[in-house]
Amino acid sequence: MLIELSGVSKIYNQGRANEVRALTDIDLGVEQGSMVCLKGPSGSGKSTLLAIIGCIFPPTSGKAAIADRQLARLPDRFLTLHRRETIGFIFQRFNVLPELTVLDNITLPLLPLGVPPKERKLRAQELLKRFGISHRAQFPAGQISGGELQRVAIARALINNQPIILADEPTAHLDTTLSREFMEIMQQLKAAGKTIIIASHDPLVFEHPAIDRTVTVKDGRIHVP
Amino acid sequence: MAQTNLEKQLNILDYALSSLWRRRMKSLSVLLVFASVIFLLASFQMVTQALSDKAKQVLAYTPEITLQKMSAGRQEAIPLAYKDKLAGIFGIRRVVPRIWGYYFDEVLLANYTVMGMNVDEMPESARLDTALASGRMPTPDEQGRVVIGHSVKKALDLEGRNTFSFFRPNLSLKAFTVSGEFSQGTDILTNDLIIMNLADARDLYAIPAGMVTDLCVYVANPKEIDTIARKISEALPGVRVLTRPQIQKTYQVVFGWRSGFGSICLLTALAAFVILAWDKASGLSPEERREIAILKVLGWETSDILAVRFWESVIVSGLACVVGMTAAYIHVVYFAASLFRPVLMGWSVLRPDLHLLPRMAAGDILLILAFTVIPYLAATVIPAWRSATVPADSALGG
Repeated sequence: MLIELSGVSKIYNQGRANEVRALTDIDLGVEQGSMVCLKGPSGSGKSTLLAIIGCIFPPTSGKAAIADRQLARLPDRFLTLHRRETIGFIFQRFNVLPELTVLDNITLPLLPLGVPPKERKLRAQELLKRFGISHRAQFPAGQISGGELQRVAIARALINNQPIILADEPTAHLDTTLSREFMEIMQQLKAAGKTIIIASHDPLVFEHPAIDRTVTVKDGRIHVP
Repeated sequence: MAQTNLEKQLNILDYALSSLWRRRMKSLSVLLVFASVIFLLASFQMVTQALSDKAKQVLAYTPEITLQKMSAGRQEAIPLAYKDKLAGIFGIRRVVPRIWGYYFDEVLLANYTVMGMNVDEMPESARLDTALASGRMPTPDEQGRVVIGHSVKKALDLEGRNTFSFFRPNLSLKAFTVSGEFSQGTDILTNDLIIMNLADARDLYAIPAGMVTDLCVYVANPKEIDTIARKISEALPGVRVLTRPQIQKTYQVVFGWRSGFGSICLLTALAAFVILAWDKASGLSPEERREIAILKVLGWETSDILAVRFWESVIVSGLACVVGMTAAYIHVVYFAASLFRPVLMGWSVLRPDLHLLPRMAAGDILLILAFTVIPYLAATVIPAWRSATVPADSALGG
């Protein structure tokens, strides 16, 4: 298993008046090269689960191992280093920096790695070509279309060649055509050996044939029908 | 590893530059305010130093010891006969009588400094001849000849003529002819000065024969000034003895006090700016929070984000320093420090048209940096810590 969660719970603001239990006793395994959809309504705990898998924060209790690395009690700095090497993120609304050029947005994850400008540009141009948006390289990201924006977000998630792609509600603000296009690209990435987890409650995503497994999250627990 | 770290810092610097460019209106306004504060502080420092230097230069012309007679705490004329009482004091090279006074021009509302002395009697080094731009000093037997300062010429409107008249105390007129003019380089001393021989000064002020206002004492060895001054005090108990180092100290104190007063006002402005910078840096807009969260999810550490803030502040403050100090230099050299002249140059009616040459020692530059760049860095980088700890998960959905 590339991702293995066992008895994972997450409590925000533990011990305080505003304590929130977001996840309870989650067991989840994801095999390398598979595509999993985390399905559930807003506030169900999908994003928290994605954040734990994405090494953004460790679980409050339980065991979480991502690419053979135990995350529980790992200091913030090591979580970040592990995330850089292992995880590529695609956000809801794609979260690009609108004033930066498309090329600069894509290369953002490479800056703290000390990758020289020439190599950064080379890697980004390769991805821009692959996704057919080379002509937009020097455009401010705030001035390109939704479809192009989604490709920029995917290119950014792939720039460091991370083995795992996490997508948080990627089709929430896309029309049907763009949502289908997004899933086609995910299918290609899966075929290329990437492990993909998508948090979504969009039927276009969880009913897509490329999805190997759908996991329903409800009230912070994995719901078995 | 070292190469990667260097590349990483260069990448972060590159990002900081692009970040400043993206917020160029905000960056430019901070830069302008900051550069203005540095400009004011540096101008003040430069002009104070330049004036102190100038004062030191011109004080070289003053006698090593000046004697004045005091009565009831006020100065009065001193008898020339006192000169004889000094004859026995070893180390005195020369004693030159002088009449020093002021003449208020009621028509022009200008105040001139009048100095009457026989220039031939003065030692070579103090003769003021070297301060002349044109003409020559009046000799003791030439009646009504004067050498004037730059502003006196302007005030009396002597462009097309070289004669003018002053009123004696009995309101009769005394005519003068200009025989020379002081150079502008010595303006701080000679700007409002009129030099004439002793007889003419006595005549103008109606000072009785055998009396003068001061006796100028020149000594053979400047290291013995204090000893000789003490001996003079003992020999002439009712006489005020002023030494050149004392006068120099007074000048320094006056400039120091004025500069200190100005500096306090400017430091208050600086403090206000730093508080504003702190306030700006500690408050985060939703866009800034979002940007930080995105960067953190993409693998940026808190220290990387702090480094961006640090470089942004270094770039802004470095640029502000260069702009502020260059502007200050131009202000002092080409505009004669017009903003601060009223504060630093006293309240004389005829203000000198000074050509100042600023001197900035490494210590002064460090002082300005310490009072401007360091507080700014502290005011922007310390609160940035708070902003850099925005949780990465805030970039994710609910």
